[in-house]
Amino acid sequence: MTNFLDYLLGGFSNGAVIALMALALVLVWRSTRMINFAQVGQAMFTTYIALTVQQSTGNWLLALVVAMGAGLILGTIVFFLVIRPVKNSDTTGAIIATFGVLIALQAAAGMIWGGDPEGFIPPVSNAGLEFAGRVWPISLYDILVWTVTAALVVGLTLLFTKTSLGLSMRASAFNPEVARLSGVRVNRMLITGWALAGATGAIGGVLIAPVASISPNSFDILLVFAFTAAVIGGLDSLIGAVTFGIGTGLVISLVSGYTDASNAPVVALVLLTVNLLLKPDGVFGHHGARSV
Amino acid sequence: MLETVDLCVSYGAVKALNGMNLVVPRGEVTAVIGANGAGKSTLMRTLAGLVTPQSGKVLFDGVSISGHKPEDIVRNGMALVPEGRSTIPELTVEENLRLGGLWRNKSDRGASKNVVFDLFPILGERASMRADTLSGGERQQLAIGRALMSNPKCLLLDEPSLGLAPLIVTQILELVSRLAKETNLAVLLVEQNAVTALRVATTGVVLNLGEVVKSGPAAEISSDEELRHAYLGY
Repeated sequence: MTNFLDYLLGGFSNGAVIALMALALVLVWRSTRMINFAQVGQAMFTTYIALTVQQSTGNWLLALVVAMGAGLILGTIVFFLVIRPVKNSDTTGAIIATFGVLIALQAAAGMIWGGDPEGFIPPVSNAGLEFAGRVWPISLYDILVWTVTAALVVGLTLLFTKTSLGLSMRASAFNPEVARLSGVRVNRMLITGWALAGATGAIGGVLIAPVASISPNSFDILLVFAFTAAVIGGLDSLIGAVTFGIGTGLVISLVSGYTDASNAPVVALVLLTVNLLLKPDGVFGHHGARSV
Repeated sequence: MLETVDLCVSYGAVKALNGMNLVVPRGEVTAVIGANGAGKSTLMRTLAGLVTPQSGKVLFDGVSISGHKPEDIVRNGMALVPEGRSTIPELTVEENLRLGGLWRNKSDRGASKNVVFDLFPILGERASMRADTLSGGERQQLAIGRALMSNPKCLLLDEPSLGLAPLIVTQILELVSRLAKETNLAVLLVEQNAVTALRVATTGVVLNLGEVVKSGPAAEISSDEELRHAYLGY
């Protein structure tokens, strides 16, 4: 029972980061109805940038902000360079192109920063807190991760529900033609979606780096988990991505704890398959949202 | 106000509009009627900037707007209510309306919202409900309301009768026609349902295979039996 609780608590931080990556996938899906498989590559690249900032200034917060900015820019660049030219003709082509971007980013990161895993020093202690006579699998750093994730989710929710920009973005996602006829500059909204996704992924990358270390390929597995969470959540739903991001984190923590960490991706794919068989629109998805 | 000059639009080898000339004056409803495939929706989509014409011009307030983007055309004062359910069902009634004039400042938007709620009070009552909970007639009112939120000088209505009970359509169109007179709004109405359209319109235009076959006072058109049999099918 103690083990179970430990595994469960330990899964929350991983879950938070998976939720952020899933959110990034959902933001892109909502704007252009496609999956950006380069998302983790972008996050990896911006995390390296954050690492460089942190190593030279020692300032974690500055590193996080720079990574967010880089994420916004990189998201925009990927949209313009790869997605926009192929998008009109063929979405499948664009999805394949995102794999190309992923590989290019990994190669570029390898050339710039080398292929060896590097540690990322957390801004607060990553050691388990002592409480009620035992050490819990929760650290100050975990609490920071949850706080940042929660703040981001609340921020995005407010952006989408309370602001004109958010309304424009939602309208552009639901019905681009009606949005254009209402005066919304839909193309800008699509770019904004990709940019926001880039920044969200960047935050996820910086948050997980102290736990996981960073190398050009270290986030690949995160893509499997985030994709699973985003799809089960309905691809369209921010709340779905967050719920199932954390859920996936808990499941893989339990699987890794009771069996072996190498089983986690398999379990994720099993969950994905079961979901697609039983509820292909996702739990929070609208029916037909994925009829592309 | 709104004018088309020798407007030609084709989809590949198919000519949808073949040299269309049309004048839509302010303060009244102009109805373009014709059977399926006459080119009515193409006309509307071209005016709104969704389709680019092969040749000819669209003049709005004397300025050519051919090739302008839809989002610029609506910001300039011409709003299209497209065919079918042109509301966004996932958004609330209030959000659908707000969407129609996001680029405008808050007090202007507020004024337009009051106009819409005066015209269609049911939208005020249902403001916080999702659009997909509305009936067909209410949704059509919402779609028109959203277009009015841009404070248009010219309103384009594409087949508003589609899927609605005739009585409801007549009610909605009579409200729109009154609004046109009271606020000096130009309304272009495109309809397959000629009886209803000609009842509220001042001028009627009969379109067939992309060409204007007849235009004149609405009453004259609706009493022209030959015309009715040949092009309007009743």
